[in-house]
Amino acid sequence: MTTETKRAADRPAEGGAEPHPTILETSGVTLRFGGLTSLDHVDLAMRRGEILAIIGPNGAGKTSLFNSLTGAYLPQEGAITYRPRAGGEEELRGRKPFRVSRLGLARTFQNIRLFGALTALENVKIAVETRQRTDAVSIMLGLPHARRAERDSDRRAHEVMRFVGLEHRINELAASLSYGEQRRLEIARALATEPELLLLDEPAAGTNPTEKHDLEELIRRINTELGVSVLLIEHDMRLVMSVADRVAVLNFGRKIAEGTPGQVQRDPAVIEAYLGASDEEEAEAVADLVADLDAEHADDPEWRGGDRAAEGRSNDGEERP
Amino acid sequence: MTATDNTPTTGAAGPIGSKRAAEAARLRRTAWYANPRFKRLAALMGVALVGAQVTGEQGTNRDIFHAMRENMTGPGLWLWVGACLLIWVVREFLRAPVANAWSTARRAGTGPAERARTVWRRDPRLRMLALTALLVFLIVLPFLVSRHWQQVLVDQIAIYVLLAIGLNVVVGWAGMLDLGFIAFFAIGAYSAAFWTGSLPVAPPFELNNFAVIPIAVITCLVAGVLLGAPTLRLRGDYLAIVTLGFHEIVYLMAKNWVEFTGGTRGASVDRFSIDLGFFSYQWGLDPRPYYWLQLGFIVALLVLFIRLEHSRVGRAWTAIREDEVAAAATGVDTVRFKLLAFAIGASTSGVAGVVYASKLGFINSEFFIVLFSVLVLSYVIFGGMGSIPGVLLGTAILIWLPEFLRDTVPAQDRYMYLGALLVIMMIYRPQGLWPSRRRVRELHMAEEGTATRAMPAAGGRPATTGGDTPS
Ligand SMILES: Nc1ncnc2c1ncn2[C@@H]1O[C@H](COP(=O)(O)OP(=O)(O)OP(=O)(O)O)[C@@H](O)[C@H]1O
Ligand SMILES: [Mg+2]
Repeated sequence: MTTETKRAADRPAEGGAEPHPTILETSGVTLRFGGLTSLDHVDLAMRRGEILAIIGPNGAGKTSLFNSLTGAYLPQEGAITYRPRAGGEEELRGRKPFRVSRLGLARTFQNIRLFGALTALENVKIAVETRQRTDAVSIMLGLPHARRAERDSDRRAHEVMRFVGLEHRINELAASLSYGEQRRLEIARALATEPELLLLDEPAAGTNPTEKHDLEELIRRINTELGVSVLLIEHDMRLVMSVADRVAVLNFGRKIAEGTPGQVQRDPAVIEAYLGASDEEEAEAVADLVADLDAEHADDPEWRGGDRAAEGRSNDGEERP
Repeated sequence: MTATDNTPTTGAAGPIGSKRAAEAARLRRTAWYANPRFKRLAALMGVALVGAQVTGEQGTNRDIFHAMRENMTGPGLWLWVGACLLIWVVREFLRAPVANAWSTARRAGTGPAERARTVWRRDPRLRMLALTALLVFLIVLPFLVSRHWQQVLVDQIAIYVLLAIGLNVVVGWAGMLDLGFIAFFAIGAYSAAFWTGSLPVAPPFELNNFAVIPIAVITCLVAGVLLGAPTLRLRGDYLAIVTLGFHEIVYLMAKNWVEFTGGTRGASVDRFSIDLGFFSYQWGLDPRPYYWLQLGFIVALLVLFIRLEHSRVGRAWTAIREDEVAAAATGVDTVRFKLLAFAIGASTSGVAGVVYASKLGFINSEFFIVLFSVLVLSYVIFGGMGSIPGVLLGTAILIWLPEFLRDTVPAQDRYMYLGALLVIMMIYRPQGLWPSRRRVRELHMAEEGTATRAMPAAGGRPATTGGDTPS
């Protein structure tokens, strides 16, 4: 039953009658902190199985959006609808963070938040074990099913560590890992909860070029091999442009553009938003953006042209397991 | 002062300037007594004076300066001054050589000592052997000590060890500050009294003391959940006050609800006994049989709790302690796990209460004052929060010390030494006597600021501002 539903759900919207092509939908989500409006009527629809990037200048409200989706913040207005594979609709606004996690949304943090005094493997085991139900009494008595659960969590944690390529670091303390490895470990911890939707908050921040490249591949594999939809916040435009199916742009809490990477790059409102930003980093990002744009159009006018990428992806959608 | 302020700008400007500069230089030169080294000497001399006064003669109301005079002239002062001077000299002038000697000694010790340590770590059989030896030693311990120390072992050490093991779950593992722990101890003790028919109010049916234990566990579990469910969402300091309040309620009930509890007059309680038909035994006045019983309880609880520590529950507690926001985002039901820790701690306390009442054969409300909550907490912290061997050792040492001092120092001074030990310990070794490895790492990370999160704001924030701090 599950595979069937899954395949049906994975197929992108064609007839419109297909069950839940949209995994996540926000409508009119508004979040205020005193006088500051951090999210301003954000409408966003995310297709099942896609990689959607959210970009925007510093303070645009990207992290606030993640926090609203995962229950860390309570938006004053709006609705957040999540449709799990199993069917049904879940309203996420105002849910407790751990309930959101159990529904199949996992996240990483912009400022890495690992359990530093635990080993890398233990970090992941904690995540695996949130899906277990063994009670304290059977653990204390050492009953067989409790031991089995412990072995299962060990095995599963090892699997996940292998998947993200950290199997050689499992016994290191999380705090002693390199920055790039810590980011990877955060992803591993999120994946260990077997999410349907993974929220990555600037996973490439502070990583070196090789790590960035590995990360790009990891995100692709999470998407294709595990069939997990990915919502990605990222400042690194090259990464966003190469990995994302679609891009949404936030500025001052408002969604100012949405579309394929190509479309968004050309959008005047987006360029304006980035040019308007005074920040140096942002200026660089703009330079990146413009350079990318120029290079692409000079070399091969069709390469990752907006509409083609969209088509390519919708085909991918069906091939995905 | 104004001269100092002006010097940099007027430094090289003619004769007036140079005079000013000289003045400034004079002002800037620190007097010898302002040298930090001598400041420390002065502070140590202050400590010596206070120490000599505090540990010396007692005052009398006939001659109010008697004690001060005696202490300022007696040998105690010179002992104190000598000790402080020695500390100062070692600290200021011999620091480098001592440190060198220490490190060479350690390096020299890497040979056999380090090898022994690796063998110890590798070989679980060796550890089992050592634990068995320790257990055998503990079993025969009552034969090796006097009656007085047997009483201390049974009435204090064993009871407080039970309490500390329970409190360690709450404070050490789940990271919640509980100042009302003795309330559950009282509930356990009064459960024992009630169900054995020793209170003014008769129970529906009388039970054996051992049969009361599961009832006390359940009663404390329920009480713990009732208290915890609405309050565990609170941050550490608020929770401490709530538990303190809860303790006060329970204590005042024990004291003032005389028709039920007997109040300060108390009630006598049946002692432990078993009657299996073919075998019956009655615990009497000899402390040793109680000791073995308590040892049994302690070992059983330790086995259960150590399993818990290294399970999903223990890991979830650590996660909550380290970063509650991240734990919740990962799917850990933080409130439930906190409640679990709270309930487990409460029921352990309840068991200790039953054992206590059934040993003493008598309880009254004054056995459950808040001081004991604080004492248990200090044992746990002194030994090392979250570390079972640390908690056991810490409790044993801190109870042993005042008893040991009973014959050495004036009776009313005993707890002062305990306090001084706690102060010194918390300054120089805040992680405790035998800290848990996880806790040491946490402390290190907090001190060096190398915690994995980039922002300093850490775990204990209220849930509403949870989530990522904007950077
Ligand atoms: N807990 C909070 N309290 C008050 N203001 C907040 C809070 N969280 C976010 N904000 C404000 O909301 C706005 C959006 O912040 P947010 O962290 O979502 O930005 P961002 O897009 O993630 O930026 P960056 O790229 O720097 O991570 C900022 O102005 C920020 O100061
Ligand atoms: Mg952010």
